Amino acid sequence: MRLVLYTGKGGVGKTTTAAATAACAAARGRRTLIVSADAAHSLGDVLERRLGPRPEPIAPSLDALEADARAEMARHWGRVRDYLLELFRHQGIEAVVAEELALLPGAEELATLLAVEEQGREGGYDLVVVDCAPTDATLRLLTLPDVARSALRIALKLQQAVSSVVNPLARVLIAAPLPDAAVFKDVERLLYGRLRRLHALIASPQTTVRLVVTPERMVIDEARRAFTDLCLFDIACDAVVMNRLLPDEARQEPFFRDWARVEHERRQEVESLFAPLPVLTAPLRDDEVLGLDALRAHGQALFQRVEPDAVLGVRPRVRFTAEKGGWRVELPLPHAERAGLDVSKLHGELIVRSGARRRALSLPRRLASLSLSGARFERDLLVVRLVPAGASASRLEAGPCA
Amino acid sequence: MRVILLTGKGGVGKTSLALATALGAAAHGHRAFVLSTDPAHSLGDALGFPIGPQPRTVCPGVTAQEVGALEELERSWSAIQGWLRGLLHEKTDELVAEELLVFPGLEELMALRAVREVEARGEYDVCVVDCAPTGATLRMLRFPDVLRIFMENFFEIERRGARWLRPVIGRLGGSKLVPQEEFFEAFEHLYREIEDVRQILLDGDRTTARLVLNPARVVVEETRRSFAYLSLYGVSTDAVIVNRELPPRAAGGWFARWAEKERQEQAEIVASFPVPILHAPLHPKELIGVESLRRLGEEVYGSLDPAAVLAAGRPVRLRKDARGTVLEIELPNASKEDVDVGVHGAELHVRVRDAQRRISLPDSLVGRTVASARLEGGVLAVIFEA
Repeated sequence: MRLVLYTGKGGVGKTTTAAATAACAAARGRRTLIVSADAAHSLGDVLERRLGPRPEPIAPSLDALEADARAEMARHWGRVRDYLLELFRHQGIEAVVAEELALLPGAEELATLLAVEEQGREGGYDLVVVDCAPTDATLRLLTLPDVARSALRIALKLQQAVSSVVNPLARVLIAAPLPDAAVFKDVERLLYGRLRRLHALIASPQTTVRLVVTPERMVIDEARRAFTDLCLFDIACDAVVMNRLLPDEARQEPFFRDWARVEHERRQEVESLFAPLPVLTAPLRDDEVLGLDALRAHGQALFQRVEPDAVLGVRPRVRFTAEKGGWRVELPLPHAERAGLDVSKLHGELIVRSGARRRALSLPRRLASLSLSGARFERDLLVVRLVPAGASASRLEAGPCA
Repeated sequence: MRVILLTGKGGVGKTSLALATALGAAAHGHRAFVLSTDPAHSLGDALGFPIGPQPRTVCPGVTAQEVGALEELERSWSAIQGWLRGLLHEKTDELVAEELLVFPGLEELMALRAVREVEARGEYDVCVVDCAPTGATLRMLRFPDVLRIFMENFFEIERRGARWLRPVIGRLGGSKLVPQEEFFEAFEHLYREIEDVRQILLDGDRTTARLVLNPARVVVEETRRSFAYLSLYGVSTDAVIVNRELPPRAAGGWFARWAEKERQEQAEIVASFPVPILHAPLHPKELIGVESLRRLGEEVYGSLDPAAVLAAGRPVRLRKDARGTVLEIELPNASKEDVDVGVHGAELHVRVRDAQRRISLPDSLVGRTVASARLEGGVLAVIFEA
């Protein structure tokens, strides 16, 4: 199954582009599912249909669903949710608000991944298109399996440390309901059992992200940072979609003369920033693109020369190569700020920090026991050298990249 | 200190308008602070020079800061970190703050703390918060409630338990497992800070939200839902700002059809938001830099003081009583004969004479039966069966 995720700054037309891709692919005979992952769903608004958490037939070969954290939580996480609801009711909080509260942060991203993974396995689709939330949430979504693993590691240790000793005592002291072992079991099974599958889904060569931009300064700036972050986490991007280019008639309007001039420069800038990825373009429409027919037409314009479900471009990914006396790890980080980079090694992982982001890169087993001997960053490539552990230390901190 | 939350669908111009609001407030003599809590910060992009996790002067009277969750965590919470470090890594000195960031909710937490810190400094009259897009903002606003429940239920218990167990476990050689008293103190301190923020956010005299939107169908739809949810969480909305309207001189030729669509949405906006509606036109150039943003502020607010509370009260409220869940809607000047109420799918339609308002219902009320509706003292109460 091919999985395409669309992201970009808010308001650039992610939902429209995702829906147009799906409508176009379905029209060309691919069995397609489109999924909305943005908690503030607008996929239904664009398709002019009310959508739910189960796939809804929209057209021949085209289904749509809006991931619903509430429903996923009830299905997969029943006991946890029941417990939370019971707890909140116990506190005399209005039941209405309690249900809203049961949706803890992170639940939306998890719900989306679970839905995509399940549909991918059982739905028999050729293509799943995901309309993601704005950039930051998308990264949270894509790194969730890894992040959840570390969170769970800490949480379970905490639970083991505190609750298992304290709970029996606490139960006697107070009347409030406390989670029992079954609740923690559910959390553990849900996370450990399915996380591995989710991780495999995201790492698959059939999964790519497409960045959507408009010719606006702030939009391009954010996409550039998102691109660096996606590379840091080794998530494949295969294309950039540049939306809302002024059509010729609109360029003639005096009011838009400056926009037209700037647009030309921005287009060249986008092509060079994201090279070698192809830049697909779509014009500004004189009407909002709503409804299936409009979406299909928009998709045909976007994918005139290529197939919507093809992997449209490839960028270098992380590479491990043996060299004299050790190994070399190369991580492409386009547009990263040298000053914000930091590399260290902890246990079997290489910890790479780029600005506010931090990635724990799991090393192949034969490299796991090596020590960090140095790191440098040049021409958008982070190069890390690993050597056999010396007598000095098993773990070495390398300061900011030299 | 006045707090103004600017939120709305992604890409509508929240950041530009947050800066324009602060610059406008400064022109009225207020000392203004702009705080970005959107993890994808763009204050620097809009100003044309970088703003970071440290407060930075934008121009006389305006200071700006982009909250960095990682920096905030490293600065505070040393006791909690210390304990976790002991628990997880035993001998290493790995930065636990970074690992802690994986917990969902921590970014929201740090954003809330930052609001309180601006207030605690006592140097500012107004704090304009450039929020993340609506979904994340709503999550931030309900975070204090989640934390309060956690504290009331678990915290004291665990603390009492730890006090009692520490000597016992200590003798068994497992003292690292039971948190030290400082851990609980640090946590309690943090909780008090967040409680303070909750008080600030729910005080309609101090805190109001302003919803930014564009005159486009999908944007208006999402903003209507946000408006309902803000009311539900107890935050008053005191204005709606319609950004990037086609000005008359741009509305001809190729854009005529576009302009016509916008007119329809403008009518929809008036019907949907019972608060002052402010306007900002589309410009022939991108608005980047202090001067452009200052002029934008003048266009939006005119002679109004941007720091003022532009509309009082919460026009839509939700509460629970013996009869079920009650949705209350302010309908001043309406009489019983004028009002007609009906549920359509996920919306409550309220018709007052010729004007119809469509209020998005919270998910938990969708599909429930309306038991009754009554109008008393200018308030329409719609009762949903439990």
